[in-house]
Amino acid sequence: MSQTGGDTTVAQRPGPYGTNPYGDRQPRPASLADVLDRVLDKGIVIAGDIQVNLLDIELLTIKIRLLVASVDKAQEMGIDWWKNDPMLSGRSDRLADENRELKKRVQELEGRDG
Amino acid sequence: MGEPARYLYAVCRGLAPSALDGVRGLDGGRLEVLGVLDLEAVVSTVDLDEFGEDGLRANLERLDWVERTARGHDAVVQACAGAAPTAPMRLATVCLDDESVRLRLQEHYPDLAEALGRIEGRKEWSVKVYEHPSAQEEPEAAEPAALGGAAYLRRKKSAAVERRVAREQATAAADAVDRELCGLAVAARHLRPQDPRLAGFGGTMLLNGAYLVDDVSTRSFTGRVAELVAAFPDVSIACDGPWPPYSFATLEGP
Repeated sequence: MSQTGGDTTVAQRPGPYGTNPYGDRQPRPASLADVLDRVLDKGIVIAGDIQVNLLDIELLTIKIRLLVASVDKAQEMGIDWWKNDPMLSGRSDRLADENRELKKRVQELEGRDG
Repeated sequence: MGEPARYLYAVCRGLAPSALDGVRGLDGGRLEVLGVLDLEAVVSTVDLDEFGEDGLRANLERLDWVERTARGHDAVVQACAGAAPTAPMRLATVCLDDESVRLRLQEHYPDLAEALGRIEGRKEWSVKVYEHPSAQEEPEAAEPAALGGAAYLRRKKSAAVERRVAREQATAAADAVDRELCGLAVAARHLRPQDPRLAGFGGTMLLNGAYLVDDVSTRSFTGRVAELVAAFPDVSIACDGPWPPYSFATLEGP
């Protein structure tokens, strides 16, 4: 399926392969995303005396999901794995490059045929 | 310091107060248990400057505050759920005083009792299925200049087809995993797939499942997950738990 080092990427951070109930159970802190999924989106909703606009909270979860928070903040929280991800670190304009390359190729082909 | 208020973490049935020894509430607050009929409300005192309407509106925009509060809330809920059937409250359920908390429990008693009955002796397990990050990567076109233009384009096209096929296979695997686990669980919920950037994993999340499992079936459930991990090597499967039954102790029914 792939030529690139997918396995290394997996090994670099605790993640899907990290925890597991089978085998030795070594509890690790739940991911923030998992905690937010539950405490913001689930649980019993009883209106207290303080009115919290749940719509605001939903918007907030979307914002968090999209990581609108600054990169610095995310790094402070230990969310920094993209530094190891070639897709996100310094190669974000790959698509643009590829597009240029394709256009060039198409022009060459057209030039050759016509 | 602003006015004090009561933050409600969870409602339990049969919670021994000693179960919360050594556990602190938000901002280090002392946890207290308020009895209402056969239920217990777990509360601590918070400051209305922080948890009043204005404070909450501002604080909910601060990711560090949200994380601290969410984790603090979850820690208390985890402690409760480890000791008694527990219905976790949504984050930031705040009442002005104990009387008001008791009133809420009385008002919602039938639904709370029903929700607690539904989750008693059961735990929530999270199982996620991801496409391998590598499956989404464009294969590197080695020395594109060495290829003829048509060959280059053909190669691009076949790479796209391969990716589509890989995605279809991964999606089918995720569906199969979900079907299997639904068969072992009392109930299942699909949470929204997490953004890969927040989930801390490069691959696209295809399934973010929550499964309510009888305590007596824990071994067969997690054992089955391990088998599924082996059976579907083309996807990554992550299992976390047990969680308090956040996704199932709801008032709107299972």
